[in-house]
Amino acid sequence: MKKKDIVSDIFKILLGIVLVLPLILAASISFMPKADIMKIPFELNLSNATLENYIHSFKYMNLLTYFKNSFIMVGIELPCKAFTALLAAYAFSHFEFPGKNFLFTLTLTVMMIPGEVIIMSLFKMIMGWNLIDTYAGLTITGLVDVAAVFMLRQNMLSIPKSLHEAARIDGCGRMRYFFSILVPLCRTVVAAYALRGFINIYNSYMWPLLVTTKDEMRTIQTGVAQLSWSSHSGLVLAAAMITSIIPLMVYFFGMDSIVEGMTAGAVKN
Amino acid sequence: MKKKRKFDAFPYLLLLPVIASSVLFSFYPFLKTIISSVAFTDTFGNWTGFAGGTFWSMMLKNDEFWMILWTTVKFAIANFIGTFFMAMLLALLSVKRTKLGKVYQMLYALPVAMASAISSVIWKSFFSQNGILNSWLGTNISWMVDVDKSFWVVTIVTVWCHIAGSYIYLLAGFRGVSEDIQEAAIVDGANSFVRAFKIMIPMASPQIFFVLFVNIVNAIKTFTQIKLLTAGGPAKSTTTIMYDVYVRAIELGEFEYACCLSIVLFILIFLVTRIQFVLENKFVHYE
Repeated sequence: MKKKDIVSDIFKILLGIVLVLPLILAASISFMPKADIMKIPFELNLSNATLENYIHSFKYMNLLTYFKNSFIMVGIELPCKAFTALLAAYAFSHFEFPGKNFLFTLTLTVMMIPGEVIIMSLFKMIMGWNLIDTYAGLTITGLVDVAAVFMLRQNMLSIPKSLHEAARIDGCGRMRYFFSILVPLCRTVVAAYALRGFINIYNSYMWPLLVTTKDEMRTIQTGVAQLSWSSHSGLVLAAAMITSIIPLMVYFFGMDSIVEGMTAGAVKN
Repeated sequence: MKKKRKFDAFPYLLLLPVIASSVLFSFYPFLKTIISSVAFTDTFGNWTGFAGGTFWSMMLKNDEFWMILWTTVKFAIANFIGTFFMAMLLALLSVKRTKLGKVYQMLYALPVAMASAISSVIWKSFFSQNGILNSWLGTNISWMVDVDKSFWVVTIVTVWCHIAGSYIYLLAGFRGVSEDIQEAAIVDGANSFVRAFKIMIPMASPQIFFVLFVNIVNAIKTFTQIKLLTAGGPAKSTTTIMYDVYVRAIELGEFEYACCLSIVLFILIFLVTRIQFVLENKFVHYE
């Protein structure tokens, strides 16, 4: 029994290695000198491992500028998404007011309109407002995430109503209740959302591609993807590795939390 | 208890950012897309006149449109089959918690952190003419330029990008099946195949349904992989509706035509989600 388990575990790990093989290969090749990569037939040979490709990609590309732009994008969008969702979830979970059902349905309807369907109209709007190649144009359409509203509302509904009442009777203001009691209670959900949101925004490609034209406004994804037409694989793969390190680190340290965030509220159960 | 209270603006203020952004960046552009499909527009997308069905009939009479629609359907089916069965296999393999379980779970779910753009760039370097694949196979195939092969290259890369996300959902579904039921089945002599097909899969049907349909929708919405691997070619053989929206609006400046295509895109996604809803009510088992 024990032996069988070990054999099956080894098989499963091998399968996992096959699945991530493209990444392993990409990482290995990125350390090979150009001469070795160009050799025909190709041979995976790490005996001449060098950092040359990494040094060159920083030298020939504005990687640091791309990183800065990506971080500005995440830094604006992510806190805004979380904060506006917290506010709206507070309204939907703690208050009764005329038109609540209507507004709730309205918010729900937003999820029926995929971003891909309206992306060209949005692009024309941003163009009309002269926001091409600005941080405002890059982020203004991504300040609110309706899915987060529903996830947080679900979470807030599970918090006992008596807590709210007790705090109110003790003279706690509505905003104070929000900031000092409700938000801290939602912190695990918000943290899971933030990890996932970070990866999503950092990895986004189509919108940054549309609204940026100047090289100094490119994000890391659109900047590095320009290299896809280059034939110097070592350089391309080194840049790809540099780009992927951050989301992979987020993944390694936040895996459990990300999994929780992805599965919570996604499926009714 | 029922007293008439003074109007309270507080909850509306809380909702203001979300509602304002929804109206401005979701409903309004959606309306604009619909109207622009029956109007003439300038470079900024402002309406300059009524066009009626001009662009619609132009699109529907275009053989290329029907070819692209067919490519979209093929692409959706291929992606959904590839992603769904791979993710299902991996999830069923990792249901049982073992000592090394953490290791292979981490490997299976790892691509979830990879950007579709970067993944495409990496795969592209492998598939290129003097890339690692040709070198190892001893062939000289232009994978991304050959009409028969480019579709499958895009499909493989897209499937690879989507497996991990589906795997995570499915694993959560399978892990949610109570241990008691599984143990009872083992006691009753059910082997692992019977347990997988008679217990795990029916009990996790909400997650399975979700993953099934989310993959179809994701395939329909695929842009990055197509753009970076083949740019829709060769001879438009990898152009889907989504990619054609981009080509028409950005590269050819035919915004109105792109709006017609966007609406077709919307209808496709809407239909898939409707089918999901109907079938879900019929077949899904909720505990």
